[in-house]
Amino acid sequence: MRKKTGFFLGAAATIALGALGATAFGPAALGQGAAGPFTTAQVNDGREAYAAACAYCHLPDLTGTNDAPALGGIAFVGAWGNRTTAQLFSKIHLTMPLGGAGSLSEKQTADIVAYILERNGAKTGGTPLTAKTAVAIGSIASGKPPAAAPRTAQATPKPKPVAPVATQPQSGGGTQAQTSGAQESAPASGAGNAPAQSLFQRAMAGTRVPDPGGFGLPTRFGLIHEGNIQNYQPVTDDMLRNPPDGSWLMYRRNYQGWSYSPLNQINAENVKSLTLKWMWSLPENGTLEITPLIHNGILFIWGTSNTIQALDAKSGELLWENRLGPAPRRPGPGPSTEETRAMGLWGNNIYVNTPQGYLYALDARTGKEVWKTHITDEKMFANNSGMVGGSTGGVIIINGRVLVGMTNCGRKGDDNHCYISAYDAKTGKRDWKFVTVALKGQKGGDTWNNLPDNERKGGETWIAGTYDPESNTTYWGTAQAKPWRRDLRGSGDGATEYANSTVALDADTGKLKWTYNHAPGETLDLDEVFERVVVTHGNQKSLLTIGKPGILWKIDANTGKFLAAKQTVFQNVYENFDDKTGKVVYRKDIHNQKVSDWLASCPGPQGGHDWQATSYHQPTDALIIPLSQSCVFMLGNGSQTYYEMPGTNGNNGRLSAYRARDLKPLWSFQQRSPFLTGVVSTAGNLAFVGDFDRVFRAVDARNGNTLWKTRLGTTVQGYPVSFSVDGKQYIAVTTGLGGGSPQNKPATLLREVKRPANGYNLFVFGLPD
Amino acid sequence: MVFKPFAPALLAALAASLFFGAPALAADYQTDLSPMPLDDETKFVIGGRGDATASYDGKTFVVKGDFRDMPSNAISAHVFTSPIAGMPGPKLFDLEVTKSTSGTISGSFSLTAAQAQMLRTGKLYIQINSEKAPAEYPWGPKGTLWGWLFPAYETVGPNIPQQDHWFLPQYDVPSR
Repeated sequence: MRKKTGFFLGAAATIALGALGATAFGPAALGQGAAGPFTTAQVNDGREAYAAACAYCHLPDLTGTNDAPALGGIAFVGAWGNRTTAQLFSKIHLTMPLGGAGSLSEKQTADIVAYILERNGAKTGGTPLTAKTAVAIGSIASGKPPAAAPRTAQATPKPKPVAPVATQPQSGGGTQAQTSGAQESAPASGAGNAPAQSLFQRAMAGTRVPDPGGFGLPTRFGLIHEGNIQNYQPVTDDMLRNPPDGSWLMYRRNYQGWSYSPLNQINAENVKSLTLKWMWSLPENGTLEITPLIHNGILFIWGTSNTIQALDAKSGELLWENRLGPAPRRPGPGPSTEETRAMGLWGNNIYVNTPQGYLYALDARTGKEVWKTHITDEKMFANNSGMVGGSTGGVIIINGRVLVGMTNCGRKGDDNHCYISAYDAKTGKRDWKFVTVALKGQKGGDTWNNLPDNERKGGETWIAGTYDPESNTTYWGTAQAKPWRRDLRGSGDGATEYANSTVALDADTGKLKWTYNHAPGETLDLDEVFERVVVTHGNQKSLLTIGKPGILWKIDANTGKFLAAKQTVFQNVYENFDDKTGKVVYRKDIHNQKVSDWLASCPGPQGGHDWQATSYHQPTDALIIPLSQSCVFMLGNGSQTYYEMPGTNGNNGRLSAYRARDLKPLWSFQQRSPFLTGVVSTAGNLAFVGDFDRVFRAVDARNGNTLWKTRLGTTVQGYPVSFSVDGKQYIAVTTGLGGGSPQNKPATLLREVKRPANGYNLFVFGLPD
Repeated sequence: MVFKPFAPALLAALAASLFFGAPALAADYQTDLSPMPLDDETKFVIGGRGDATASYDGKTFVVKGDFRDMPSNAISAHVFTSPIAGMPGPKLFDLEVTKSTSGTISGSFSLTAAQAQMLRTGKLYIQINSEKAPAEYPWGPKGTLWGWLFPAYETVGPNIPQQDHWFLPQYDVPSR
């Protein structure tokens, strides 16, 4: 195969859109100071409507988070300054809120638009805003909030809830009255002063309301069913280093992150007879992307509402349940901040991190809480606007410590940062933490364009790390610096260490051993934050990883030195990618990006690869990788439009195998739907993977041929595993919804795929008795 | 299945172009026409699918294709230039198009050496516009389907694994 560095890109890149004659997208005229086409009453109502329907994702101060763009400041005005209030109204009315598109009445929508405009400096006037009001946003809004005392929306307003509002558990695990989509909400309806209607009344009147899949949220928390498991074998450090064949004790089964099971009872010859052995319904709502764990014939699983359950892995009988709470903030599928992806086992305990940033040790035999802590000690953001610190990636247990990553780490101007931290597994006492952005005075601290430390954000850890016992090194991927656009974060040409990097830490101290920055100064929401797989060939111990750009990286696991790289999907964001050195050079229009310019990116934020982790099939030295093929055309960080990746014929999903030794492509197949699970491969020469359109399949790990498949209730999402009990091998996988770009982008692109809004389940398959 | 990234004719064309400065032999190109950038607001008016091929014999560039299932009638079709695959650029030629939701496109043109170079390097794309597609987007207006012309490559159907090499424009399309 010929390799091309200096991938085609002429100097024409920067003139492309200018040459299109798009006069409507020229520079905005900002903040003219004229009275806005909305009233004070609309702003006041809009504050509450925004709090109920929008603040959840876009944050009370409109600064945005993850997939929800900022609705204030230069990011907003840059993206929307040349569009009209009618266009903003239409966008919100037809597509918001997440999971409830079309559910906002015209009045609610107008109020929210008025509130957003007011928060961006537009002045109130005497004329109410309507759907047809078409004023250029840049002519009335500057992006600067009014000088008066700020009155930002609170995330949980009491009066007049617009969208269903979940109740939260009371301390001590008490109960509260349930609120659900069909029963709650009495928003004002329609423009004017029409009497408030319930969602049910509005639905009966023909108005689109939130999906009836907004099922009831749990109302009771705590140790719902206490267990009494006898003869439980404590999990030892040695077991974690050398997992028993039939077990699955951690996220990717072994410390090296292989997701490879040595079991071979189910194999390429007999998998066609695979059958359902049992299934278990998990809590609905929220986001489910979990890895079941199996030890001693017990299957442990996390469900939404932080519901931890122990099940007899052979029969599916419930052994204990501890519903830690809180419930998801609203019914229906959740965002990418409400999941956890991996628990951990050690001693007699099971360890759980929650999306809210808590870390629990539960007794694996009973479900009782042993200890509980919070990764930021429940530190609050300014104005009491939420707790600092979330955690969605899962944990890894190393040498008697629970290591956990962090999300929701800080906001511009505060002194919070993301870090990886380690806790004594016996007591919950924090032993060390490693901040994932380089601060002033630290190695790499000079790569942030001299930004003050309190503006160095990002470096989230979206999935748990891996570990090399020989060198006592733990490996983590970090997300890019935040804001993810370089033109908004002020980092200039800086590499923004240690963001968007692999960091290698001493597992006992958290001391940095080395770091490798995959795309210095990342600026497209194409982070390199996912799985790190350790593979040894002879004397060469390598770390293999692949992130959203779809580049498969091979790094020396001991030194962090670049070894090799292979592009796996089409990409056009680097005008030069040198697969001999790993050096990337962004396209000039990306380097010079402005919030008021449209920008094309292949892959888009769905990623060439995302959290659906690779399996290393040791017998064939194959990395089996779920890939996605879509692109984005985005206007600043305010609008994103999606399209199919050139050359893919509409096939968003791809599963490909690459040889770890030399990154040679082995086999690939593509299909319309993306794969929404990690891959588990087995010594039976099988690889299991599930997809967006409900198909769970087994392929021959040697050639990619599909040998068995079944169709489940909704999207197959999570991390399938393999285990054995009493000499029989099983395959377990979850179905569920919620999440960020891997769910949302195909939901927009694949209109023909219809999925139920419910169906959070655990399925266990085996050979016939 | 053995992947053949380039047909012999393409290799010959490549060799000739290196020698003569422009393609001199017949060359075949292909693309799938897929929906242009859309979101939850516009996905109901941007849709459909199609296929197109192109040939160039050193003098004449011939485009043929078909499309189907667009949400509204086609109103025009064009060949555009592109600074890089996946990124829109200025219009180059007008194509004949069936004014319907399904139909055909066609056209025949002479290429300058620079345009031939663009074709060879994956910087030409086809776009079909339709009545109800948004008018305000900079890559339009009215853009509905598009597809980049790449040197013909072997394709397999969905769910059929292909062994060894997988077509990727950044590896398999000439960069110069």
